Amino acid sequence: MFSVILYGRNDSHGYNLHKRAAISFNAIAEVMSDPDDEILFVDYNTPDDHPTFPEAIHDTLTEKAKKVLRIFRVRPEQHYHLKSKTHLVALEAQSRNIALRRSNPNNRWVLYTNTDMLLVPRREEESLSKILGDVPDGFYQIPRFELPEMLWEAAFDRRDPVGNLTKLRDWAVRFHLNQVVHNFMPMKYDALGDFQAALREDMFAIHGFDEDMLLGWHCDSNLAARLALYRGRVDTLIDKVFGYHCDHTRVAAANNKGRATRMNDQNRFIWDVSSPYLPEQADTWGWPGVEIEEVRLDRETSYERFTSGLAAALDPATEPYRSTSLDWYLYSDLSYDIRHTLPFVCDQVLTYPRSTAVMLVATRAEFVSRFAVAWQAMGFTGPILVPTECQRLDTSHPSIKTGAFSDLVRMADLFVFEFGLATQNPDEAVRIGRPEGPLDKKSLKAVAKLFAAAASEEAETRPKGRRLPRRFIGVNVIYNKFWPLFTDYIGANINPFCSQVLAGIPRQESSLKGKILKFRGRYRV
Amino acid sequence: MDPTLDEAWEGWGEALDALGERALALEKYEMARRLRAGQRPGAPDRHFVLRQRGHFTAEILAYDSVVRSLAKNTLPYLARGNAYLATGQAAKALADYERALRLKPGVPEITALKGEALAMLGRYSEALQAFDSALLARPNDAEILGGRAIVRIALGLVEEADADWRQQFGLLRGRPSACACVALRMADYGAALPQLEQALMKEPTDPYWLLYRLTAQRRLGQVVDATNIPVIDAWPGPLLALHAGRTSAAEALKLANTESRRAEATFQLGILASAHDHNAARLHWQEIVDRSGPSQIEYAAARHELARPLSSSAL
Repeated sequence: MFSVILYGRNDSHGYNLHKRAAISFNAIAEVMSDPDDEILFVDYNTPDDHPTFPEAIHDTLTEKAKKVLRIFRVRPEQHYHLKSKTHLVALEAQSRNIALRRSNPNNRWVLYTNTDMLLVPRREEESLSKILGDVPDGFYQIPRFELPEMLWEAAFDRRDPVGNLTKLRDWAVRFHLNQVVHNFMPMKYDALGDFQAALREDMFAIHGFDEDMLLGWHCDSNLAARLALYRGRVDTLIDKVFGYHCDHTRVAAANNKGRATRMNDQNRFIWDVSSPYLPEQADTWGWPGVEIEEVRLDRETSYERFTSGLAAALDPATEPYRSTSLDWYLYSDLSYDIRHTLPFVCDQVLTYPRSTAVMLVATRAEFVSRFAVAWQAMGFTGPILVPTECQRLDTSHPSIKTGAFSDLVRMADLFVFEFGLATQNPDEAVRIGRPEGPLDKKSLKAVAKLFAAAASEEAETRPKGRRLPRRFIGVNVIYNKFWPLFTDYIGANINPFCSQVLAGIPRQESSLKGKILKFRGRYRV
Repeated sequence: MDPTLDEAWEGWGEALDALGERALALEKYEMARRLRAGQRPGAPDRHFVLRQRGHFTAEILAYDSVVRSLAKNTLPYLARGNAYLATGQAAKALADYERALRLKPGVPEITALKGEALAMLGRYSEALQAFDSALLARPNDAEILGGRAIVRIALGLVEEADADWRQQFGLLRGRPSACACVALRMADYGAALPQLEQALMKEPTDPYWLLYRLTAQRRLGQVVDATNIPVIDAWPGPLLALHAGRTSAAEALKLANTESRRAEATFQLGILASAHDHNAARLHWQEIVDRSGPSQIEYAAARHELARPLSSSAL
């Protein structure tokens, strides 16, 4: 019957976002009763190495919410072409249109709201699906009622939407929450963007939200103006449903700078609107030709993929623990436990697109073979690119593609550089003062050369069409002699030694040291 | 109170709701919605304002207020003008569109609406100028093309009107009901029939698509299964009954209680007569051209029928 369209990203937009959003997702799912109903969340521009926002809070969502939730992940690379035109990191019009384009065509209605709203049918036994199923074609809004922060934060249980809705019905009366704030036509009510129900067919006819609205604010008013023109009136559902907003003004959100807030031009986008249609974006709204990843929380979850990958690549440990050491005299000992390190490496790659091409430059054959098994079992379809300059590695796995470094580097979306000892056996004890043999030295020299070259020339060797820097994952680069090399080139955080993994993008150094490093890296190969 | 005034029912409901009379309030809201659900939108190939049906008094009053606060912006004038146009108050609509155009001269969408208001007032030459101007800026706007085609046919420019409709038909691909209406205006039943079949797949019980499918089938010389024509009381049910042989021409005309319904009934009488008596059919169609407005599908279709040689079928 209806598709709810929401957007956001995995960041901290305003106060206690995680609780507000969980309350809202669960409450919206609770008032759905039609099998075609869905909540579409566009996760816009979350960094590639982070999970989407709903994945990050999945444990606080009800089974029903997880079942109806479809997440569309818009990557930073897909946002890049708009980056210079806006100060915002998440774009409302683009997000809502991406969801609309991909919404269930069986649904008659599209409902635009936000991840801090609870929709309360006035008849307890009535679902929102039933309400929308019964009303005639039109464009419907409701007033927004404000819920003090204390109430939702202190009294709501995230995973109890039924209880939360019951509490709301009670509080509405006891605390006089229901104040209708009327507004000019065509807005009709204040804060109208928290409930705008339009026919899906109408939204396609008017070409969705106006994607020129890149500065934030008033997207809802623009939609109201255009749909009011298209339909002739703005209808109300105030007799059927109340909408409550979890107030979050203790901390201003990123797009709220008080009087200094930048926003879309009200005259252009509201008061001088002359048509519901946007012919300039008729063929492009919602990015119809762009492949947008869909993530589900009720199937093939990140956790399932992660554990599948590791289960395929590793046998369970047979001892209660294994040891390593940070003693200073072991600084040159590059032995490490692959079975312990691999989960941290997989954790670094899991959130990337499945089609990612990863370049793997390694010393240890065991690392390559175990990583390849995990990669495939995690559902990645892109190749593992292993340069022929790395010798004595097993490259027989079907996911592995070999070639000259200079060719492969232009195909890679992500890099993994592993600095271990080529001669280390899987069952050797680690960090007990193992020296490097000639073969180890030769392998490490090759990896270091390729690393310096890849990092210093990263910008010049990006695949065609790619504009953002690629991420480098360093394996066994903490508290050993490759730590300085890795962090000279890569802006990595300080990580615990136990993970053995660092990651980041190449440093943009304008200092003399940076220029020298870049020069040296460039001519090492 | 006018019992069809949906806005009054809604306002009554709102007032009762605010007073705590919940059950009574819900009844009034439901009444408003029933009235709105019963209003069939205008022809789907027409400008969106002309598809709107119902009362827009509340909108006119609301935008009166906005105009007083925002006298230098176009939207309030445009929205109020549309409310006037949708309710047939073309002179008031025209005044608002002209005010909007003084604020933002040359905006093609507003110029096109001015054309629609002029056409509704019967000022076809001025309307044609407005549409020509709007189409210079928006040459592929299906709604503006449809508006100009109607003005052109009103001025007797049938070939020029057809050129617009053919272009409009191409632009509306994927919207079968709208395409069907355009084809019917040209009395191009071969083009209309597949579009009507598609429209009926989406809205299988729509009485107009059923009626127009019968129209196209008869004019294409196809056999019509009269036993499967549904019985529908509300208009245009009597015209379906006419095709099924369940009612007489006189009875159908008697039930046609508005000008536009009379034109619809007369057109169908022409369709039914055309199978055996071309002259009788032409008399019916001529009556439509003489008496009805050019925005009606039947008007344009009748003009095209009359333009055909006497012995010609619609094939």
